[in-house]
Amino acid sequence: MGYTDPSSSRDLLGNRTLFFIFICAFAVVTLLQQILYGRNYLKRYFEFYEGPLEYNSTKCLELRQDIIEVKVLSMVKQTELFDRWKSLQMCKWEMNVTEANLFKSTLSRCCNAPSFLFTTQKNTPLGTKLKYEVDTSGIFHINQEIFKMFPKDMPYHRSQFKRCAVVGNGGILKNSRCGREIDSADFVFRCNLPPISDKYFMDVGVKTDVVTVNPSIITERFHKLEKWRKPFYDVLQVYENASVLLPAFYNTRNTDVSIRVKYVLDDFESQQAVYYFHPQYLINVSRYWLGQGVRAKRVSTGLILVTAALELCEEVHLFGFWAFPMNPSGIFITHHYYDNVKPRPGFHAMPSEIFNFLHMHSKGILRVHTGTCS
Amino acid sequence: MAGLAWKWPRTRLPVGASALGVFVLCWLYVFPVYRLPDEKEIVQGVLLQQGKAWRRNQTAAALFRKLLEECCDPGQLFAMTKMNSPMGKNLWFDGEFLYSVTIDNATYSLFPQATPFQLPLKKCSVVGNGGILKKSGCGKQIDQADFVMRCNLPPLSREYSKDVGSKTQLVTANPSIIQKRFQNLLWSRKAFVDSVKVYNHSYIYMPAFSMKTGTGPSLRVYYTLADFGAKQAVLFANPNFLRDISKFWKSKGIHAKRLSTGLFLVSAALGLCEEVTIYGFWPFSVDLHGKFISHHYYDNVLPDSGFHAMPEEFLQLWFLHKSGVLRMQLEPCEDPPLIQPSA
Repeated sequence: MGYTDPSSSRDLLGNRTLFFIFICAFAVVTLLQQILYGRNYLKRYFEFYEGPLEYNSTKCLELRQDIIEVKVLSMVKQTELFDRWKSLQMCKWEMNVTEANLFKSTLSRCCNAPSFLFTTQKNTPLGTKLKYEVDTSGIFHINQEIFKMFPKDMPYHRSQFKRCAVVGNGGILKNSRCGREIDSADFVFRCNLPPISDKYFMDVGVKTDVVTVNPSIITERFHKLEKWRKPFYDVLQVYENASVLLPAFYNTRNTDVSIRVKYVLDDFESQQAVYYFHPQYLINVSRYWLGQGVRAKRVSTGLILVTAALELCEEVHLFGFWAFPMNPSGIFITHHYYDNVKPRPGFHAMPSEIFNFLHMHSKGILRVHTGTCS
Repeated sequence: MAGLAWKWPRTRLPVGASALGVFVLCWLYVFPVYRLPDEKEIVQGVLLQQGKAWRRNQTAAALFRKLLEECCDPGQLFAMTKMNSPMGKNLWFDGEFLYSVTIDNATYSLFPQATPFQLPLKKCSVVGNGGILKKSGCGKQIDQADFVMRCNLPPLSREYSKDVGSKTQLVTANPSIIQKRFQNLLWSRKAFVDSVKVYNHSYIYMPAFSMKTGTGPSLRVYYTLADFGAKQAVLFANPNFLRDISKFWKSKGIHAKRLSTGLFLVSAALGLCEEVTIYGFWPFSVDLHGKFISHHYYDNVLPDSGFHAMPEEFLQLWFLHKSGVLRMQLEPCEDPPLIQPSA
């Protein structure tokens, strides 16, 4: 029925043929590109993989060198860095004691967590005029009541713990099954009141020894603790006997809510301790990392915790520290393991922090876990 | 002199007229037209009445209750409830000039469905905090009532329970107390929760919507008690009720910036209860026998002058006592125990 173009079958170099040739050409070019530039990507499929390689094997030295030689993040494409990182995963990790000790001694000179991490009665005597970290004009006068809240001395000392886990909240933790490995650590740090409920404990574990709380969370989710307090207390109860760590003297807005946390826990007769970051420690840590190329308005809580952990623990393991939109294999992940709320842009320099961790991993100072655990 | 003459108006009152004006003012100052009887006269008046037996006048009580119901409707409007304050209602504060809040979802959820009492209440005791209660031994009599109302979170510790009783169904709390004694409940709240434990299962009645500064502390009292799972419940005073009561008493001739909590409570009790007995309403510095007494039964902190008109309020209550609407207990309920001379 109907009319068909009689010339259509004779259209040798007509529109349709040209179109088909064009598609074929495009496909060939794409394939060639894959083969030429994705060498590493294909290589893994050709190489025979026989279990994790020894730490000191030449292959591993080479792979580690691949990462260490990336001096700044912008030197390579992100995918290239991911590939190198992924290749390194086949090597076993071992601590490099010399490198680690060197690094730790640098930290002890700059920051000295074992005596300055928290405000204590020893390092902040009564009547001290405490300077805030960012509100440089702001001064907090330590009176009797606040002074009594401080611990007598730092509760932790240098290299007290054998194996520590610092748990970030990166979406990379989702379905990682790392819960058991995290729980097996001697000391576990967590950031920003993360959920560790039944839904997540397989991936993130439950053991918590120190949990930080960002005062902005208290302000937003708990009305500065001026109204209900039980919900906040219930949230903290999940962490059982974990100490609560707050940047009370970061800026003037944080102080009141942070101090209120102490009152809440006292009122409900909780055993949990409340500690406050010493503002001078925070200043020193950010200054140190600024020197290492972390340019941000503020270093993240995770970075501060890792820095502290490096001084307090012999071996530091990082979980959930991965601030890229995709995992090393290129699959997109959520921002946090529990939600996908992106942070305020330009506040933290997460990629640069992670990049530093990867470096430190390659040098054997700490270990970054980005894959799944057995 | 020329300059002065320029400033003064050409025509002015004759000297005699101004002198007369000044004289009249002085006269009124020395012998005011409206004058409150002073303390001694009131005590004398009370003493004259004291000998006579008091009898409840049912008709007068019913009449007064009807009067209150017409003006203020205590049964419905006594507290903020979901029924009388629907969401979105504009609430005008009774202690502020032209200030209102709209009831939002969060606030609405704090109100009970309706006034949570079994109305009408049978026998009520309203306990003021007057120093006259000290060594009165009225505790037992106060506790015999079905419903005991107290003012401003009074102490009920063991040393006072003989005089003021221990039972409480309703206790008012002034936001200013929360502010002074408990730092607005912004810091530690345990002290507050512990201090209201003596009131057992009672309602804490707070004027949350009278003053701007009172709203925050009052709501915080609610949050605090809910957080701790305390036995006490919070009722918020209805500003419309408070305003109506003030108007009612103003029309009866009480000139004060604000009525005292005690009078609010007595008015509410008169509307809610069938029999009302009031204790500890005695704002004078001497008792009926001329002995000096402290201002409160627990301390002697005098209030700011010129805020409440206590003597006027007392006279009104005394008038109600005389007409048999309520009973005012001023004498000790039982003879004070003789002090045993130590051997």
